[in-house]
Amino acid sequence: MLNLVFLIPLLPLTGFLILGSLNNRLPKTIVSFVGCGTVLGSFVIVLTLLSGTLSGTITSATISYFDWIYAGDLNLKMSFLIDPLSVLMMTIITGVGFLIHVYSAGYMHEDSGFVRYFAFLNLFVFSMLLLVMGSNYVVMFAGWEGVGLCSYLLIGFWFKKDAYNDAAQKAFVMNRIGDLGFLLGMILIFTTFGSLDYDDVFKNATSVLTENSGVAIAITLLLFIGATGKSAQIPLYTWLPDAMAGPTPVSALIHAATMVTAGIYMVVRSNILYSLAPFTLDVILAIGLATALFAASMGLFQNDIKKVLAYSTVSQLGYMFFALGLGAFSAGMFHVTTHAFFKALLFLGAGSVIHALHHEQDIRNMGGLSKKLPITFLTFLTATLAIAGIPPFAGFFSKDEILAAAYERSPVLWALGLAGALMTTFYMFRLLFVTFFGTFRGTDEQKHHLHESPLVMTIPLMVLALLSIIGGFIGVPEVLGGSNFLKNFLSSVIIPYGEKHEHLSHSTEWILMTTSTLAVIATIIMAYVIFVVKKSVPAEDNKISGLQKLIYNKYYVDEIYDTLFSKPVTFLSKIFHSVVESKIVDATVNAVGKAVSASSKILRLSQSGNISYYLYVMVIGIILILFINNIL
Amino acid sequence: MSKLKENFNDKKMTAVIILSCLGIVSMLADIFSYKKALWYIVLAGVAGAIVANLNEKSNAIIYDMLLTDNYAIWFSTLILALVLLWFMVSKDQYESGVYNSSDNYALILFATVGALILTSFSDLTMMFLGIEILSIPLFILAGSNKKDVSSNEASLKYFLAGAFASGILLFGITFIYGSTGTFKLDKIADWANAAGSNLPALFYTGILLVMVGLAFKVSAAPFHFWTPDVYQGSPMFVTAFMATIVKGAAFAGFFRLFYTSFTSASGSWALILSILIAATILTGNIIAVYQSSVKRMLAYSSIAQAGYILLTVLLSNQEAKYALLLYIASYGVSTITAFTVLYHVEKIKGTDTFESFTSLSQTHPLLSVVMTIAMLSLAGIPPTIGFFAKFYLFSSVLKSNTSYLWLIMVSVAGSLVSVYYYFRVIIAMYGQHEPIISSEKKQIPAFYNVLLLLLVCVIIILGMMPDVLMSIDNL
Repeated sequence: MLNLVFLIPLLPLTGFLILGSLNNRLPKTIVSFVGCGTVLGSFVIVLTLLSGTLSGTITSATISYFDWIYAGDLNLKMSFLIDPLSVLMMTIITGVGFLIHVYSAGYMHEDSGFVRYFAFLNLFVFSMLLLVMGSNYVVMFAGWEGVGLCSYLLIGFWFKKDAYNDAAQKAFVMNRIGDLGFLLGMILIFTTFGSLDYDDVFKNATSVLTENSGVAIAITLLLFIGATGKSAQIPLYTWLPDAMAGPTPVSALIHAATMVTAGIYMVVRSNILYSLAPFTLDVILAIGLATALFAASMGLFQNDIKKVLAYSTVSQLGYMFFALGLGAFSAGMFHVTTHAFFKALLFLGAGSVIHALHHEQDIRNMGGLSKKLPITFLTFLTATLAIAGIPPFAGFFSKDEILAAAYERSPVLWALGLAGALMTTFYMFRLLFVTFFGTFRGTDEQKHHLHESPLVMTIPLMVLALLSIIGGFIGVPEVLGGSNFLKNFLSSVIIPYGEKHEHLSHSTEWILMTTSTLAVIATIIMAYVIFVVKKSVPAEDNKISGLQKLIYNKYYVDEIYDTLFSKPVTFLSKIFHSVVESKIVDATVNAVGKAVSASSKILRLSQSGNISYYLYVMVIGIILILFINNIL
Repeated sequence: MSKLKENFNDKKMTAVIILSCLGIVSMLADIFSYKKALWYIVLAGVAGAIVANLNEKSNAIIYDMLLTDNYAIWFSTLILALVLLWFMVSKDQYESGVYNSSDNYALILFATVGALILTSFSDLTMMFLGIEILSIPLFILAGSNKKDVSSNEASLKYFLAGAFASGILLFGITFIYGSTGTFKLDKIADWANAAGSNLPALFYTGILLVMVGLAFKVSAAPFHFWTPDVYQGSPMFVTAFMATIVKGAAFAGFFRLFYTSFTSASGSWALILSILIAATILTGNIIAVYQSSVKRMLAYSSIAQAGYILLTVLLSNQEAKYALLLYIASYGVSTITAFTVLYHVEKIKGTDTFESFTSLSQTHPLLSVVMTIAMLSLAGIPPTIGFFAKFYLFSSVLKSNTSYLWLIMVSVAGSLVSVYYYFRVIIAMYGQHEPIISSEKKQIPAFYNVLLLLLVCVIIILGMMPDVLMSIDNL
């Protein structure tokens, strides 16, 4: 089964090449067939790998194809690493990716850029697979840049709107700042280990790096800066809410389920390095937790259906980093998995609503949609229950594992984590109630056209809903009679960390679980009372004030960044332009140009067209040569 | 005749024999009226010559006059490949009825024989014969557009200047013979080695005069004056032939002579040569800036490029052979491509000025892309072969002798200037939009589209994988 591995990224790449080169010349049916088919093909091959890893026939296999970069000490191979961690990611990418491709065939059907859309989407899947399959940091980086490019292209997919292009650019610039960190981290790894292969680096990590040494901290922090860019953590998170400018399935695939988890994958992949730098882990813990709380609070008052989900994504990503910071790497991966299911579902559900309302995204103009869009409603409800962490939905188990890990470290962290979860519950149910309950508040025109989405869109919703219900069972903790299957599955890749803490007793775990579940239910009831019983609808933009206004305007972070970074840089750039550029550089360059041009004008006259003159100059030349030779 | 057959069976000089016979066959085409098939015959013949050349018995000494070492075989192959390419791209010109293809093809083939001799001589007389066999057909070819005054003028100027240069070359050869008593390249080298630093004036004056003669052939300053006039007056593909194949062969001969015989005496000529190089690079690049005709610009560009290529002679070591092979290949392919595009543009628009390229990208997108890539390659910009050729050349000069840093700086400055005039073409094609006259929309035959695309592929693929040429053993 390993000899087909190369096809996994190659199929989507082929899809991209076919669609990209035959732009607009194919009927839409064939386009969707190629677009979805290639990803399905990869998914099938990934499933054989998955069964191989589950049965234990594949533990860790490196497959090399060719020398990619061979220069001096640097010998990089284009090679893939197949182990439980990469297979898990590949399953999510191709599986969820395939569902979203199918959904897109319906969602984007009327769009004039249909072919372009699928070409980009296929390219994205290719790059993302490269990112997780690479067996060295450079292949990962190539994929990392590839997904960044696709994200940029798809955020600005409707490039005729300036605001969307700005959003794309913002995402690109923010990611670029992070990428610089990643790149520096890679260089530092190379100078420290003399190699960028996971194999060489991880095997020698304990002998080369001492715990909490400067190098270990520098490497891990630099890599983490890369992760904050891609996975939208403080301080580089601001691009993700704006990235909602792209088509909704793109938000589901790239900005919720897969690409934004690349940072988590990278940290988990390098967990050996991170476990040698507890200081960095503490930083990650702080940033993850801060992001989780901060973004959740911003989600409380947003009125754009996709913006709420975007802040929720930032917040959940923060949660995952929180887990990583606690050293609970497998819990982080667990949450990546379940989050991929329910957040993709939430976005696709939101897409279905937007589709039904003809691109209306403001929840204040919705309401009462549950009857008109029953499938969308039921699946959305499932996902909301999952993200809120109601047992036995998927989110419950993964969140519980993180909270338990937090309690092991300190009850305060547990309480903060729970606060984040409660905020999440509140804004998610606010969203659900305001959108689907009550009476319809949109125009008559919209009301008239309300319709459930076609099967091609609802079937992916149903599949994801099923996954959001049962997805959590891959990591049932011991206290509930499970054996935490996922943790064992990943145990060959993730070395245990933080074992010095005492494990929680079963009774404590029961108490924590019950407390958090009860608190979540109380929050749901609160939301129900506010938005269903009292039927309150979020206020108009100009009627809000105080703290709510501060939060609604995202704490003015964008404005602060603008004042702190953009404006000084623009100012400096203006000075450089008017003084250095035009007075010094331009003047010099122009002078050189003029000198060349003037000498050309003069020298050109030597070409008189007169042959006897030419011969004369030749003779002079010979005489000069002999003369010079004699005097020297 | 029997000797010839013997040689042929012995795999000696096979390419030379094939080409000579092919030339005769070509001359007879008019009489036996197979002129229509001539192009195919010639193409097949040249292809055959390439195969024969690759199978040439290696390191054979032929009459003590030629030596088929690896250098000779590979440079001959390169030249034959360029000739094959030339026959393909020039088809249109010789089908236009203005030229008699059977005579012209014969002359080209004979000139090619001279080129092959120039890559493999081991004796000064053979070198001289090679140069003359190469030059004399060209005097006629330059004037082959009989009704065009400038073509006639080109022919006469080329002949006069060429005769003059041959005289000086012979003068130099005589001096060398006078001091060493031999024409054999290896014997001259032995003699110079034995003489050590104590070289008689007769000998190094001879070297300098030979250098001047050869510098004329490769159009180095200040012996370049004939070049712009002759290049501009000659028919387009004759110019292309002179700029690529003739120049390539002249360089192969130049390098062979100096590398084999005069390295130990380099103290007497290296400085002069480096001054010539600097002068050539500066003159060629600077005057090219002010041209209004693209053909004339390419003529000056060929002067400037000759300056870079001369660096290999200055270097005269093993690495320089690779640099030379790479550079001639790169320059040859790029220049032939540029001339082919120019030929079609001139045919469509009637002139060869920069203005004739204006908004070409709208009417002829493919031609524009091809021309752009050819210009990028000539300017030495990645990912084209032109970049790697320049890079390899400059870096091998610096590697072997850092005291030539100043010369490399001049070269790089010259390259910078060259970007200006190469890019003028690109800017004309893409930067300006002017209303299109419908007569200018005439497309070129599909055959040329395919050919040009292939050339572009060669330029780019060689640029990304230059190892193909670098992996030749023991050049």
